[in-house]
Amino acid sequence: MKATTPKILLPERYRAVVGALFFFCIMLLLFTLRSPGVFLDIGIYSAIFLSLPLFMILGLSLVFCVVAGEIDLSFPSIVTLTGFTFAWTLENTGNNFLIATPCSLLVGVLCGLLNAFLVVKLGLSSLITTLGMNFALVGLTQILNQGQIRTFEELNDTIIRTVLVGSTGPVPNQMLWALVLAVILGLVFHRHKFGLHVRICGDNPEAGRAMGVNIEATKTICFVFVGVASSIVAIQGVYLNSTYFSTVGDGFLLPVLAAIFIGGTPVTGGRGTIGGMVVGAATVAFIQTGVVASGLDGFWTSFGFGLAVVLSLFGHRKFSGRLTR
Amino acid sequence: MNREALVSLVNISKTYGRVYALEDINLEFFAGEIVSLVGDNGAGKSTLTKIISGTEKPDDGGEISLQGEKVLKWSSAKARSWGIETVFQNRALSEQQTIYDNVFLGREITNRFGFVNRKQEIEETEALMRQIGYTSKVWTPLSSVDKLSGGERQGVAIARAILFDSRMVVLDEPTSAMALSETAEVLEFIKRLKESGKSVVFISHNPWDAYAVADRFVILERGKIAIDCPKGDLTVDDFIALLHRFAKKDAKK
Repeated sequence: MKATTPKILLPERYRAVVGALFFFCIMLLLFTLRSPGVFLDIGIYSAIFLSLPLFMILGLSLVFCVVAGEIDLSFPSIVTLTGFTFAWTLENTGNNFLIATPCSLLVGVLCGLLNAFLVVKLGLSSLITTLGMNFALVGLTQILNQGQIRTFEELNDTIIRTVLVGSTGPVPNQMLWALVLAVILGLVFHRHKFGLHVRICGDNPEAGRAMGVNIEATKTICFVFVGVASSIVAIQGVYLNSTYFSTVGDGFLLPVLAAIFIGGTPVTGGRGTIGGMVVGAATVAFIQTGVVASGLDGFWTSFGFGLAVVLSLFGHRKFSGRLTR
Repeated sequence: MNREALVSLVNISKTYGRVYALEDINLEFFAGEIVSLVGDNGAGKSTLTKIISGTEKPDDGGEISLQGEKVLKWSSAKARSWGIETVFQNRALSEQQTIYDNVFLGREITNRFGFVNRKQEIEETEALMRQIGYTSKVWTPLSSVDKLSGGERQGVAIARAILFDSRMVVLDEPTSAMALSETAEVLEFIKRLKESGKSVVFISHNPWDAYAVADRFVILERGKIAIDCPKGDLTVDDFIALLHRFAKKDAKK
């Protein structure tokens, strides 16, 4: 019997999270050393918690897709399209949230099903297919929206806005919603049989099929997850800004992907972590806000993302040894 | 033989187009017995394995009976629900997942909401690993499969096969491409299966492995049964000589 003593006593399932956390703490320390006045004040954290939930919600759903051995690059355009659906329905129903929300979610589900049909049923490459869908859906939204900016100032004092994107003390409510979602999806991913089946999809789908796991249905649900999460982000975006514009999904693609990989989910599938993804999203959000807040030019942000992705791999190699592929 | 056969194959044939993969096979498998199914490439071992496991259907006219009862519309679902488990050559394990995840894959112990009862799965996996002879204290049910040696991985696949009160375990070349120590480990797992009263069908290319564990030999040649005899009828030298003779005959043809 092969018997090798593990070098690190930390249980394997926590190593990716600890690797991501290790990197995050070092980054936060560097920011604080550079601008202690900014990073020892609660204001910067309230500002970061405005954008962090959006990265988190998108990233949480995308972790399922990546772990299942696929990728969905169309989520920014699904945010744009579902946001348009929400805004258009609000306009045409006298700001009826109860009609606009299901319409937006339905469009998100349909986008997910379409991606799943192309990838799972027809066997097309998810990378190329969803990249194409990203262009197609943005184009479709622009055709439908005709460049309009739709404003909803009348939503500002509604209860729904307060519940969705108001504040509880210094913490924006969307941060609390994102944390609740992270806990639920964390339980599903790590404790529910669906989470196991998602991991099997990316690890050895043939083994899954042999044991009765419905690989196709599992992957389809993962794509639908991304559609629904995109819709939630779009709805929150409309309430947060009281405005809809058709560039609402721009700027999500690379930071969300960076958050997933910084979080320790390998691109090869079969393995991943929800906790790591939350830390990864926090890292990305801190870079975006922290770079500017610490007095650097905004152009440093992209450089910071790149550096974070590459350096975080060293953290994962240190703690996990194999999440670097 | 007075014992009742667990599984009986009567007049089983299988053709692919005009090619006979199996021709008129009649075989019985009994509880607590290891049958080594051997033969050269193309002898029909894999086809017979697939028919027993239900992933292939025999041609019309063939019959499969389970404890004397003829089964209509044979399928893998029927085979598994009756208790025939197959450990395929590629092991069908998910290497990045834990041992207990692999053992319970597709038949997870869950609550009514689908959440996995990890504690129970881990405990049962631990008991199962002890049952099949896992002695290492380094690897636990929480270890991922990619940390295991080839023999240990085969052990996980065998553990999965025996978990749900299976009555017959079909092992398709479980020792292929393994080191000697790993092979010994797997052969030990197989003997434990027999001790637990299961019927075992052991398919192998390796005559020494086949001889080491078998109670009975079935040698296939070009889709037909050439020899079906108990181990006592043949010494290891006789057995190997027989296999060489069949292999030479095949080469001449």
